[in-house]
Amino acid sequence: MAILINKGTQVLIQGITGRMGSFQTQIMAEYGTKVVAGVTPGKGGTEIFGIPVYDLVEEAVANHTIDAAFCFVPARLAKDAAIEIVSNGIPFLVVTAEGIPDQDLLEMVHYASLRGTKILGPDTPGLISPGKCKLGVHPQALFMEGPVGVLSRSGSLSYEVGRVLTANGIGQSTVVGIGGGPIWGLSQRAVLYMFQEDPETKVVVLLGEVGGTMEHEAADFIEKVMTKPVIALIVGRSAPAGSPMGHAGAIVEGDEGTADSKIKALKRAGALIADTPLEIPKLIKRIGV
Amino acid sequence: MRLLEFQAKRMLQSHGIPVPKSQMIRSADDLKGLAFPTVLKAQVPVGGRGKAGAIRIAREEEEGPSVLKDLLGASVGDYPVQALLAEEVIEVERELYVAYLIDKRENLPLIMASPEGGVEIEEVAKRSPDKIIKRHLDPFIGFKDFIAWPLAKALDIDFNWFRRVVQNMVRLFHEKDATLVEINPLAVTANGLVALDAKIILDDKAAYRHQDLFSALRAEAKELDNRLKSQSELLAEGTGITYIALDGEIGMIADGAGTGMLALDLVHQYGGRAANFCEMGGLSNADTMERSIDVIVNNPQVKVLLIGLIGGMTRMDEMADGIVQYLKKADRRLPIVVRMCGTKAEVGKARLKEMGIEAYEDLTAAVEEAVRRAKEL
Repeated sequence: MAILINKGTQVLIQGITGRMGSFQTQIMAEYGTKVVAGVTPGKGGTEIFGIPVYDLVEEAVANHTIDAAFCFVPARLAKDAAIEIVSNGIPFLVVTAEGIPDQDLLEMVHYASLRGTKILGPDTPGLISPGKCKLGVHPQALFMEGPVGVLSRSGSLSYEVGRVLTANGIGQSTVVGIGGGPIWGLSQRAVLYMFQEDPETKVVVLLGEVGGTMEHEAADFIEKVMTKPVIALIVGRSAPAGSPMGHAGAIVEGDEGTADSKIKALKRAGALIADTPLEIPKLIKRIGV
Repeated sequence: MRLLEFQAKRMLQSHGIPVPKSQMIRSADDLKGLAFPTVLKAQVPVGGRGKAGAIRIAREEEEGPSVLKDLLGASVGDYPVQALLAEEVIEVERELYVAYLIDKRENLPLIMASPEGGVEIEEVAKRSPDKIIKRHLDPFIGFKDFIAWPLAKALDIDFNWFRRVVQNMVRLFHEKDATLVEINPLAVTANGLVALDAKIILDDKAAYRHQDLFSALRAEAKELDNRLKSQSELLAEGTGITYIALDGEIGMIADGAGTGMLALDLVHQYGGRAANFCEMGGLSNADTMERSIDVIVNNPQVKVLLIGLIGGMTRMDEMADGIVQYLKKADRRLPIVVRMCGTKAEVGKARLKEMGIEAYEDLTAAVEEAVRRAKEL
């Protein structure tokens, strides 16, 4: 078991023939991800790495069972691409593009919620269930299979923590990048719930950052629902107010969104707080998972 | 992009929302022929101008020059005041608050309104949150009468006046890719509603859809922006690199926002002081790396450069090439501490080794080294 993806997950890649799309598709396929179809308008009828390419999602869906899609389409075209996935009934979509206009995000996320598609992202590396399936662009050598569920707003921070855990012999069930924001499909709360329900996940690591109120909602959820131990690391404690720290969502505005307020709320909710990635394996060993 | 007040009001007016008659004032000459009394308002992109003394009334013509002199000589936040907006004085019965924005918790557009508008709105929100009325809109349905009714009732205001203003705010928001349209106060007068102050934020990520508008607004704002900028800030403009100046000695570069913030926190924790935050962005190559180093070393305060890399999409061989490109042309040699792992890290590390740089595997170790070197110098 893992969350959102698994060994048998059949994947469609949107933008499969592009520079990034083809490079990353090959790595995913080598990792063992079952990439069954690709879509690039105008390239229908061709093949790449033995994977059939279609002009339309509709054609791919007619010929294959698709459980999940990964969208490599650039920001300006991402809304239409996502709506095409959703309107063809694919249940799960990862949107990696950074810089999608807020109103496009609003429409695509709203449409997906009406039609029952889960969207992960945008501005995310995707997710990886080590040893089973990779629907993402993670440096896979940094991860290994095990009992820790990781969710992160930042891609690079999840690599960092994966690296530290793996170096300490602690594996991961699924590592999920929820994305840099400022609008999110799946929230921290939604992913926490999936980890709570996943029998393979024994402990959850939440990697948050300054900006917004999502960690406060996550804290509320941890307090009310989570029975599994949660370890949280919040970065940007020394970030100055008023400047987005590289993520659209990572901006401290007035009193809102400071690292301190998030750390306090998470602590109050019963989460264990790590100040650095290196403390995370120590805390996990102390819990005794 | 946060618009200046005069830009926001011009936009409201062109979308059918009444604003006071006004005129831009850059010098004492512009006061000639102005009707008094008049409200003089500093044009700076900063909130709380009223409390900061950046909005003043000149009762009669004789007062004009001295008020002007006070305001034009002052700074609000980091911004030296370059221009004023002179507005007619409006007879106000009541002040309301109306805003249209994206609620990021619900992923839905939201109308917020309050019968108690004005400078204390944040206090109102804290003290009596029930005085702030909220209604979400469905992005596929938009603003309808059944949404407007309860809001107009709660504000105790003429339905048609209210509906017209909000309808136009919503239209502006969607047409121009705004992320916030806020009118505070929205004045109730004998003849209708008037926007006395407005805050509009446009979505920079949508600039490509409104190129003429965005570049015209930016040019106007730039002309009035007299903040002192460092060489590094100027160099970073328009490159896609996120650069935020801080005041320490350790120059920082990261290939991810999260690890960039982590490195910043670690430097702080180990007693060092960062000179900046710098994140290269997702699609960076060797040239991005070289340009980022150029930006950082242009800050004369920087003593040590700390480059923290963990490649997913970014390739470490390309990052190493960028560092090598810089070293080959560099006229300012600084100690460089590199942490490198992830995609193609072995190749990248080997290339750096040829240049005499031994890259760290662990971020904490690299941070400790950078802090130690900075203290030595």
